[in-house]
Amino acid sequence: MSTSSHMSVHGPLIELLLAGQFICAITNEEFFAKLQRDDVRESIDDYLKPLNRRVASNDDNSVYFLAYRDIDDPAREHLKQQLAVVMSSLLPLLEWLTYVQEAMGSDGILTAGDTLKLQELVVKTEDNPSLRQRLQNLASDKFFGSSADSVDAQAKQVAKRLVEHGYLQQPHSSRLYFTVTGKIDYLLELVRFIKDEENIPLDDYQNSQAQTELL
Amino acid sequence: MATHDNDKQHLSGLFEVGAERLKLIGDNAKVLMQGYLTGGIDPAAVNERTLRRLISARVLYQPDDSHELKLRHPVTQLIAALVTDESRRAIHADIADKLVAIRGFVEGLREAQRMGDSLRVDSQMLRIDEAVYDLTAQFEEAIYSLWHRLNSNFGFVSNLSDKIRENERAQQQIKRLIDGMSLIDFDELIELAEGHPTLRKILVSRLQQQMSAHHGSLLEVQKRLVELMTRFREQQERSLLVLNMAGFLREHPGFMVGDYSYRSQVPALVNHAAPIVPAAAVGLDKNEQLSDVTALVHALYQELALKRKTDSVSVSADALQGSVQSSAQQQAVEARQQQLKEDAMRYFIHVCEAPEPPSALAFLAAEELQWPPEVWLFQVLGEYNALPRHEQKLFTITRDERRISTFNHVHIIEDLAVRFQAA
Repeated sequence: MSTSSHMSVHGPLIELLLAGQFICAITNEEFFAKLQRDDVRESIDDYLKPLNRRVASNDDNSVYFLAYRDIDDPAREHLKQQLAVVMSSLLPLLEWLTYVQEAMGSDGILTAGDTLKLQELVVKTEDNPSLRQRLQNLASDKFFGSSADSVDAQAKQVAKRLVEHGYLQQPHSSRLYFTVTGKIDYLLELVRFIKDEENIPLDDYQNSQAQTELL
Repeated sequence: MATHDNDKQHLSGLFEVGAERLKLIGDNAKVLMQGYLTGGIDPAAVNERTLRRLISARVLYQPDDSHELKLRHPVTQLIAALVTDESRRAIHADIADKLVAIRGFVEGLREAQRMGDSLRVDSQMLRIDEAVYDLTAQFEEAIYSLWHRLNSNFGFVSNLSDKIRENERAQQQIKRLIDGMSLIDFDELIELAEGHPTLRKILVSRLQQQMSAHHGSLLEVQKRLVELMTRFREQQERSLLVLNMAGFLREHPGFMVGDYSYRSQVPALVNHAAPIVPAAAVGLDKNEQLSDVTALVHALYQELALKRKTDSVSVSADALQGSVQSSAQQQAVEARQQQLKEDAMRYFIHVCEAPEPPSALAFLAAEELQWPPEVWLFQVLGEYNALPRHEQKLFTITRDERRISTFNHVHIIEDLAVRFQAA
């Protein structure tokens, strides 16, 4: 099959990738299945060569995105700035993850494919002053940017921002339930990488959450 | 003969006592369940006579150091099994004792056979049957309990570290059960059943069949427990990672990561390229595409007409947006619409500047624009109508109209002429 006929098949997929989107089994099952195929990735790579792009994925191949093929200086500068943006949003994101885990009483941190029912979260938060305080704190962070007073409005604003950043997906715009995308797993891989890379002694913080609660 | 009467008496005595004590348990079901759940029963909650009966029936006991009464272990176990309460249910892996009992019953059977005591032979046979049943039932019960814990995802404990501990405990139980199974020596059992077909069936073929099924189940549960444990550990690792990193960042607000992007080997996770948005506008320079463009503009014209119509009957704009999905095709249409609008604006500007401004169609021809005349006229009229009122006053628009029929008042606009009149 010639490259051009391939491209007409993968056009919409390439547009999403070029737009900087992360594609996983949750965001788009069909595109994700295509990206799992070596021949598809190779043909997209060939096509994107003049744009200095190639298809990349995280360690466990659960998320695909575009990376620079050759990393020149402008690319390095972009990556540096992008990482700074991610780092500035990291704490509110992590705080949100622990808050949801605690509110829902779940065994683990949210992971790709999990469903989040906003109303349930709101009800559990309203019933618990400590959770209310935590939501209030993280919602007012400039990453989430909520100036609302009510739990309901704060939770909605936070969810809206997470959808905008691709961490959550809202299958029906009229219904307040969300699906966690593979980008959360990508984020956690990045956190793990940073922990190892910067030799952050995370064991010291094992009980810091509990200590903050006590204070 | 006396032994048989004794046996009979003994059995009827057991029946009486058993039925009476089960009834006693049933009559006090709520108090006992309360005690099961809270760990103790307040003696004041039960009348003294009942209390004495429950204690003498070995249902309850009073620990020396306690005012409260507690359920005896077998009663607790009965309840735990009845309500499949995995946090309380105990699994007995003691196989050796049961094998000793079976050996004893077989010896008793042989003895009775030698003495020609057929009734005792029957009763010994019954006991062997029951002992073997007990042995397999023990595995059955344990396997049921293990599956139940597995399928409920260890939901009977509330947090992950407890689940991990429970999973470890379950794996150890499986190990003990499998070890216990290995105590069953079928060569020995074959020897025991020598020359006795019924015994051979109970002790060898049936037991072997059941044990091999249980062994398979245990290995399967074990495999699933190990898988679940892996998942628990991953969840635990993720939770700790997020919790601890959040704690670290809270305490180090100025934390900066290294210059990963300026390394000779940029880490793969960080290499997420900047977005490129493929923008496109309609190209009017290719004659062979002209018919396609014209068709698209026609479609656009119809869409606009439709929109006007729906607007005027105030159909919700949302519904229309919903039906007109934003797709690549839609973007192409929008690009052409934008071009058409710009051309119409150029006509208006030309009208302002030219001493002898041309009509709309004359401008179309002079500029060699490719728009079909009716689309063009519609756009010019649309632009004029879209102007703010004070700007509209600066222009006069003259319609060159033709009535298409003498039977109605439908007019066709042949051309438009826009004139600029400085205020």
